[in-house]
Amino acid sequence: MNRNRLKSLVIPLFSFFLAIVVCGIIMALCGYNPFTAYSIIFSGAFGSVRNITNTLIQASPLIMTGLGYMVSKRAMLINLGIEGQLYTGAIVAALIGMTDLHLPLILHLAVTMLGGAAAGGLVGLFIGFLKVHFGANEVITTTMTNFIIINFTSYLVNYPLKADGAVAQTERMLETALMPKILPSYQLTYSIVIIALVAVAVKFFIDRTKTGFEIQCVGLNQKASAVAGIKVGGVMLSAMFISGAIGGLAGALQVMSVNRRFIAGFSADYGFSGIAVAALGNDNAIGIILSGIVFGALKNGANILNMTSRTPTEFVAVVQALVVIFVSAPLLINEILHLGAFRRKKKEGLA
Amino acid sequence: MILGLLASTLSLSIPLVLAALGGVMSVRSGVMALGLESMMLFGAFSAVVGSWFSGNAFVGLLCGILGGLVIGLAHALLSVRYKMNQVISGIGLNLLATAATTLFMQIIWNNKGSSATVASVDVTLSFLQNIPVLGEIFARQSILLPVTIAIAIVEWFVLFRTPFGLRLRFVGENPKAASSIGIPVHKMKYIGVAICGMLAGLGGAYLSIVSLDMFVRDMSASRGYIAVAIGILSRYNPVKAMLAGSLFGFCEAVQIYLQGYGVPSQLIQMIPYIVTLLVLVFGVRNIKPPAGVGAHEDD
Repeated sequence: MNRNRLKSLVIPLFSFFLAIVVCGIIMALCGYNPFTAYSIIFSGAFGSVRNITNTLIQASPLIMTGLGYMVSKRAMLINLGIEGQLYTGAIVAALIGMTDLHLPLILHLAVTMLGGAAAGGLVGLFIGFLKVHFGANEVITTTMTNFIIINFTSYLVNYPLKADGAVAQTERMLETALMPKILPSYQLTYSIVIIALVAVAVKFFIDRTKTGFEIQCVGLNQKASAVAGIKVGGVMLSAMFISGAIGGLAGALQVMSVNRRFIAGFSADYGFSGIAVAALGNDNAIGIILSGIVFGALKNGANILNMTSRTPTEFVAVVQALVVIFVSAPLLINEILHLGAFRRKKKEGLA
Repeated sequence: MILGLLASTLSLSIPLVLAALGGVMSVRSGVMALGLESMMLFGAFSAVVGSWFSGNAFVGLLCGILGGLVIGLAHALLSVRYKMNQVISGIGLNLLATAATTLFMQIIWNNKGSSATVASVDVTLSFLQNIPVLGEIFARQSILLPVTIAIAIVEWFVLFRTPFGLRLRFVGENPKAASSIGIPVHKMKYIGVAICGMLAGLGGAYLSIVSLDMFVRDMSASRGYIAVAIGILSRYNPVKAMLAGSLFGFCEAVQIYLQGYGVPSQLIQMIPYIVTLLVLVFGVRNIKPPAGVGAHEDD
């Protein structure tokens, strides 16, 4: 590994460390022992095979939303709409999954995933279209579409698509549309294989294809790309479509392997967590797998911590937000690192 | 019914207009206002905390302003001193405000969804109640309605009729040139974003302790983003922001009005967001922010 790549790892890792410390301080101020809390989280996340599979289940949607957010970010488009695209993919997948298409397992699974991905991709494409043709700021349009989609899907499962019973949800999906489990008595399904494939595909797409290269160019310098003959609008549209499609697939996989139906408001802010996952993963597909597992472990461990000690799980979201801020402010991190180095020098000088 | 709709339009516009006025200040000084959501949310939360611990709603109002100010200063520090991408800084702070308010709510009130009820600001314009028509519209409005109107007018005057306002706008248009003639660029931006934070914080406080008496998780409900759209629609002019803000206030009023008619609430709740989307797409083409937004004096 060359020096530059090593250097690019320092900022995300130190940011994560800083976020963990800040949160530890908050916990300590609130009367929880941060060291006990973090050790419970660690053993809760990795202590047994069951804990590890649960961590992977928590990590799955985060890796996907992180990948989706990253693809658009590479073109300097901020797709805050992953949350909405995830809901769109999930409801379409649930509908396809409920319908008896007389297909064998593999085909029904494929159709369900493709349907979810296509639906999410169309939402992304719509946002891209508003950006390219009307100059509408994508941060605001995605926030608005998130609200519209979440409310609309909630309407659908409260009225026309509602299954019998008190809960606002669709009917259960058919067995042929549910991801099979890897090990008989564990909840982990083959969706993690799909996710790994998606990550590899994204890496190949960004690093090795023409469109991927153009996305990177547009992200680095829009004007220069246009001068060089890249069709900036088209590149933005494809970046938003792919970003949305990954978000949609994230939702499809979630209903196919965890919920088995669409439930109103089912997402635990997966879309927004993706922003932190991409930041910690250094906007790199392999990094995102690792950072998704880190945040999945935090979430899973925090749930266990909450059961044993009533420590609120919300501090995980605080860590995520701090990571987003710290990673994107390298000047701040540099200053903190230098401050430390300066103090150390001063001490040595005195001694 | 029309009078009632008008009255609720006014009261629902206040938080949007306050946040938009803050956004205008921030953008005019050259800093994007995508962090408005966090300033509102944290303002709303701080106001409830202040009111809870002091038992006095006006102390709460003050704490709301301070809460917004804290986030505003953080946004300024990150985007001016540490030259962070202003979009990411705004989004990061929005995520942080959502997470932190929920966490602190758990710690203080041991409840994920809402806080305990606290003292609320109940000073209204009741002296108008005997005047026909006007009384029906204004008598139940909070004291913050005239305050908001006054802030808008003062802000307009400061921005467009004072040397300070000229300098602030100069910094927003071209920080390099402003710096070269000796205007303290950083200081002007800090002031712009700090005022933005205080106004958005007051808007948030209005949501939590004026129109309600508690904090509810994520209660700003993307109003901060709608306020950004209002700022654009007003062409970054405080007085026009007041008018543009009441358009969105009207949407919210219609939404509440329709809920009495058996239309599913999920569909009605989409209205303000659809209108914002339409306005962004069709209403604000060719409106450009100040040329120096996001730029630094030493680029």
